[in-house]
Amino acid sequence: MLEDELNVSIRDRDGVAIIDLVGDVTTFAEEKINSAYAQVNEKGARAILLNFRQNDYINSAGIAILIGIVTEVNRNNQKLAVSGLSQHFQKIFRMVGLAQYIDIYQDEEEAVKGFAATATQ
Amino acid sequence: MPVAHGQVNKSMTLSNSDAETPDRIVELRLPSRLGYEKVAMDAAASLARRMGFNGDRVEALRTALAEAVTNAIEHGNERDSAMKVLVVLIVRPDELVVSVADQGLKPLDHDQTTHIPNIEETLHKSDKGGWGIWLIRELMDEVEFSTAPSGGNQVRMVIHLEQ
Repeated sequence: MLEDELNVSIRDRDGVAIIDLVGDVTTFAEEKINSAYAQVNEKGARAILLNFRQNDYINSAGIAILIGIVTEVNRNNQKLAVSGLSQHFQKIFRMVGLAQYIDIYQDEEEAVKGFAATATQ
Repeated sequence: MPVAHGQVNKSMTLSNSDAETPDRIVELRLPSRLGYEKVAMDAAASLARRMGFNGDRVEALRTALAEAVTNAIEHGNERDSAMKVLVVLIVRPDELVVSVADQGLKPLDHDQTTHIPNIEETLHKSDKGGWGIWLIRELMDEVEFSTAPSGGNQVRMVIHLEQ
């Protein structure tokens, strides 16, 4: 009831591998997020977007999972962005320093455009 | 070692100077099972909104309380669901005081409560955690760690109502 409240799915849009995260990002999210990343990585994704929706709860365990993804993304020379975060969690991401490694966009639309712009640079 | 219920109730009080009129105090006793912190977050947020805290501050409170309660569940009470986490919310005209106490199987040491994590270092470590207490300190106006009468860890957090 109170534990695992996250749905994770994968799709592709204009060459961007989008991982939709709907719900809470806490310690229970680890396996789902890591396996979604492993899947897009296996498919050879270069640009990865973590698209957050209805995330009114991301805690420090969730942040630790995302830092793990950043480590993998850096190792595999991929680009990582996030979208859909509330103002509060955008602030938390900046405080933690995640914003140094992840581009933060308001929404999916903006993120996909952002990836396209950096690809043509 | 499991603690008898009578003992639990007797020992789960807070040590602080927050002597208040009882009609301004909300107490929650949560099972030490991850996920129940959300019940405390919702209760505190509901109270804070009614006190007039703006959305950003309510979100800050939710995050700080989530970290305090998950610490109590995971570390203090080592996820023994028979052990309780006591959350006390005290409403004052100009601030909300939130205390979280566990039953202290594993006391927090000074280093753990003052550690400032660094993302660059964290990227190279296998343990990517350690952000919780730092977040509490960043987000709340006053934060104090102490020992509860139960012998457990207690964190007292205050968020000021800005006029």
